[in-house]
Amino acid sequence: MNTSWITRKKWILIALGVPILIALWWAFRPEKLWINQKVDEPAPFASTADPQPLYTGTLEGKAHETSGRATIYKAPSGSEYLRLTDFKTSNGPDVHVLLARGDDENLHQEIVKGQIDSIELGSLKGNQGDQNYDLQPSADLGKYNAVVIYCERFHAIFGVARLDQF
Amino acid sequence: MVRIFKAGGKLAGLALALGFMTAQAQNDGAKTVETGTFHGKVHSTSGRATIYQEKDGKLVLRLTRFKTSNGPDVHVVLIALKDADDDANFLKNGTDRVELGALKGNEGDQNYDIPAGTDLAKFQTVSIYCERFNANFGAAPLTKF
Repeated sequence: MNTSWITRKKWILIALGVPILIALWWAFRPEKLWINQKVDEPAPFASTADPQPLYTGTLEGKAHETSGRATIYKAPSGSEYLRLTDFKTSNGPDVHVLLARGDDENLHQEIVKGQIDSIELGSLKGNQGDQNYDLQPSADLGKYNAVVIYCERFHAIFGVARLDQF
Repeated sequence: MVRIFKAGGKLAGLALALGFMTAQAQNDGAKTVETGTFHGKVHSTSGRATIYQEKDGKLVLRLTRFKTSNGPDVHVVLIALKDADDDANFLKNGTDRVELGALKGNEGDQNYDIPAGTDLAKFQTVSIYCERFNANFGAAPLTKF
């Protein structure tokens, strides 16, 4: 009896089932889970004569309110430098600019106990305004991927910028 | 003799003009206005979004190192929010948005023109948005470069 019911209703099942399946396919496009659509458009302008940004990030205040952007540029000559823009921090004694490791637990603190594994870039030139710091060619930017505004005297982290590839 | 001299002068002038034009083209770099990185866990989205301003004032959004999951009817939009959560529904939430076009590819570098007159102070975040299911795949909050 069962088989004959299916035979009789077969066409109704197909007539209902096929459009439902098509509608489900159209809505979810499940094949897209496995199919990628890759593109590679060039930049809409040529500016190879200018320094190229390599890494960038925004500064977050820790012990003192700090804001602005930190960007590492590569000059056409091949030399690299850190540039701070829209920069603002509080003034203080013996404040330095460092590159530190982004995964360093010390960067979560306001006051560092002990030493930060870091590369020294120099004394902070000004607590406000745009400024540049030269990098040594040996600096491993894949590892030292955080900029720290650091008061050496009190081991205080004024601000941190975690850098991402531009 | 005079004719040769004149022709030489014209050529020199042409060469100078050409040299000047190529120098102009090289300096014709666009200005970086804003940038940010994508986050999105449900539909794993990553990469950078940067808005450039060309010399003529035109704004262009460029996605680099970009990756998201492929899906149906996925678009690039600017939204009037500081940031957006995974699967946020901008239709239900009544979020203002500016359409930049259908996503060209779910992987790779790509550019989108931003309509003239778009207020970047209002539209602060880029979203990869599935129009069919009204779901945010990934968002990149932008900050001044």
